[in-house]
Amino acid sequence: MKHIKFLILAITGALFVSCDSDEFLNPLPDSAIVAETFYQSDADVLAGIIGIYDAIQGVNENTQGSSIRFNRGIQLEYLLTEHRSDNTRSKTLEGSRADFHRYIVEPENIQSEDYYQSMYEIIFRANSILSYSDNADESNVAAYRAEAKFLRAYAYFNLVRLYGPVPLVTSVVVADDKESLFTRNPLEEVYTQIVTDLQEGVSNLSNDGSKSRASRAAAQGLLAKVYLTQPTPNYDGARAMCEAIVGSGEFSLEPDFSNVFYNESNNEVIFSIEYIAGNPDESQGFSSEFTSYKRQGRQDGLNIVNPNLVVDFNMHGGNRTAASFAAFGTDVQLPIPENAEVIKFLPEGSDISDTNNPSYGSSPGTAGNDWIVLRYSDILLLHAEALMAGGDTTNNAAIDSYMAVRVRAGFDPVADRPSVLTKNVLLLERRVELAFENHRFFDLIRLGVANDVLDSHASAKGYTSYNVRRLLLPIPAREINLSDGLLTQNPQ
Amino acid sequence: MKKQLSIFNKTVRLVLCLSVMVFAVSCEEAFEYELPEAGSIADLTPPVAAFAYIPDAVNYRTINFNNLSTESTNYAWDFGDANTSTEKDPSFTFVAGEGTYPVTLKALDANNASTAVTIDVVVQDVFVPLPVEILNGDFDGGSSDWKFSSFTGGNTNPFNSSSDGSFTNYDGSDNGAKTKGAKWTKSTSAGVYLSANTRYAYQAILVSPSIPNERTVRYILEYEYAIKTPAEQGGVAAGGNRIISEVLGAHFADGADAVASDPIAQFIASEVLGKTTHTNVQQEFIANGTGEMAIMFYAVTDVDVYIDNVKVYAAD
Repeated sequence: MKHIKFLILAITGALFVSCDSDEFLNPLPDSAIVAETFYQSDADVLAGIIGIYDAIQGVNENTQGSSIRFNRGIQLEYLLTEHRSDNTRSKTLEGSRADFHRYIVEPENIQSEDYYQSMYEIIFRANSILSYSDNADESNVAAYRAEAKFLRAYAYFNLVRLYGPVPLVTSVVVADDKESLFTRNPLEEVYTQIVTDLQEGVSNLSNDGSKSRASRAAAQGLLAKVYLTQPTPNYDGARAMCEAIVGSGEFSLEPDFSNVFYNESNNEVIFSIEYIAGNPDESQGFSSEFTSYKRQGRQDGLNIVNPNLVVDFNMHGGNRTAASFAAFGTDVQLPIPENAEVIKFLPEGSDISDTNNPSYGSSPGTAGNDWIVLRYSDILLLHAEALMAGGDTTNNAAIDSYMAVRVRAGFDPVADRPSVLTKNVLLLERRVELAFENHRFFDLIRLGVANDVLDSHASAKGYTSYNVRRLLLPIPAREINLSDGLLTQNPQ
Repeated sequence: MKKQLSIFNKTVRLVLCLSVMVFAVSCEEAFEYELPEAGSIADLTPPVAAFAYIPDAVNYRTINFNNLSTESTNYAWDFGDANTSTEKDPSFTFVAGEGTYPVTLKALDANNASTAVTIDVVVQDVFVPLPVEILNGDFDGGSSDWKFSSFTGGNTNPFNSSSDGSFTNYDGSDNGAKTKGAKWTKSTSAGVYLSANTRYAYQAILVSPSIPNERTVRYILEYEYAIKTPAEQGGVAAGGNRIISEVLGAHFADGADAVASDPIAQFIASEVLGKTTHTNVQQEFIANGTGEMAIMFYAVTDVDVYIDNVKVYAAD
């Protein structure tokens, strides 16, 4: 027995290095982890619902630095959306984060993969709640189910716009059921499910709670956008949803544009994802990544403002320009700065008044700025868009909604009022109003001009890899590998 | 010595243990004599051919193809008449012009598995006429943008500015009250009352030119007008109280030349419904060969007449 330590060492070592082939070669797909017996009471179900928001919130890169999948939630969404529009770019060309703005994202891209699996994490957690919601108090069941379905619809809406037809999983599925997990459903089916889920939210949610939880208005707003985006747009439905939000009287434009972002849960916000500054588990990392001149993030600077957006801001931004981006260093002297930085999400304690030496507070890496998913000005512009019904309009109600947003930005209600509202005018307004809030790419797609606009943007910038196929991201290679050939790739 | 041996023994045992462990977990020999093909998986996902196309912005005959095939690496395009391509995203010019051409794309993977798709490509010369923006078409800006730069023997004032325009806003919505308009009176009339004080409202416009035997481009000049009734103001000019709207086939610097020119289209607006009842006119005209045209308004009247909301747009 005196050699027992060698034996222990040998056996332990063997255990470590032997490949537990089942686990290693067949990792569980993200949407299949089985929730066991957790949900017993109303409080458990509620905790589960909060857990869905946790999946959206994601893990701060400055807390967990590894590049391996970490469920970043929506913290990397700007890469998949703003960077792929004509709005912003990465300052450096190194690393997979710099692939998005040049339209060279490959199926192996780690950020795209993380976003994809993050969305399915939301879907899995929502499906899980839906299986166990009966254990909640009877009076709460309908609202809990509607909340889970709202969040599931939110995730599917993101997926279907970025990746095209995706596997539609609406119940908790065991890992072996690859047929359900990896068969791509037609676009129409995915949209039908999203609409059904959101309609349940409209019926069963109320506007009483926090803005960082699902509400009736959030469901209405998202549904309006879905109606306008789906393959056959439902303009009347979208208009009705927007008018319901306007009619509720619970939302209004913040008089000061900057307060939309720095006075959290203000009257303009309809739905936002909450973060807490300084808390490693509840904070976000994107605020620090948007700095560059005196960089606080892990990269040289992301979401760097393209000069052609600055041009649009100078013409149409009004008082939003000074609250949306800023130039630093020698860039300040240029009429059109080359490397302006986003300032809608500056970390707590920031002071950028000295453009040669901005400061970003005590903990820029763990910032607490909320991520606004839906706000009132977005709804007003969607209302105008619904009334336009795919064409130009002279409709006064549409122009009123459009002008409400413009007037807040400092334009004159009479002199600057157009007689005709065209698609380009609306698109331009959305671009400057909602810049850096991950709308531009989806707006271009929804209004059917993505290829025109991005093709000329890409050739002006010399991004030679752009072609119309790049409007859809490739399905992550990891998912295809796990699917045993069931999951098909987008055209490459 | 005994101590040394014991150390040696420990080391030997350790090495032995580790070797056994490594052998136990290394799996190389298991695959050593496998044939190269063994364990390979058949490719069960065949290529799916698909494509879309966009006409070139400059030449409508050139079609830019976008390959939307999946699971494929090689492509064989057939544009008809033995024209082919193996490019992924070819461009092809259908020299014959407008028509429907079946185009076939065969998508192949590296195993030479393939599928083909044929889509009828419609080549069409879609012409979009230039939009025309009338400056100060609602007369909110008084007489600006409506003046000749000079007027030999006359004056460049275009009309009498008036607060008695239409109740309709420029966008077609109801204002609920009068908007600004343009007014002519007896003293600013032409015709029998022609004088150095006669006023002509003029604005140069740029339209898409018509091309003989190829395309005829039609535009519409739209405006609203009102003429006072005898109850409101007495008097009738010879030939009736009226407003004349004309479309001219060139740009004119001097108003005298414009008045002397032959208009391409003329409309006489003569409905007498009273100061507050506006009549809508839609006057169609055909664009000339240069695209440089102008619109001109004047009046022959004893009573006050008004126009408002002047627009020019392409006819469908």
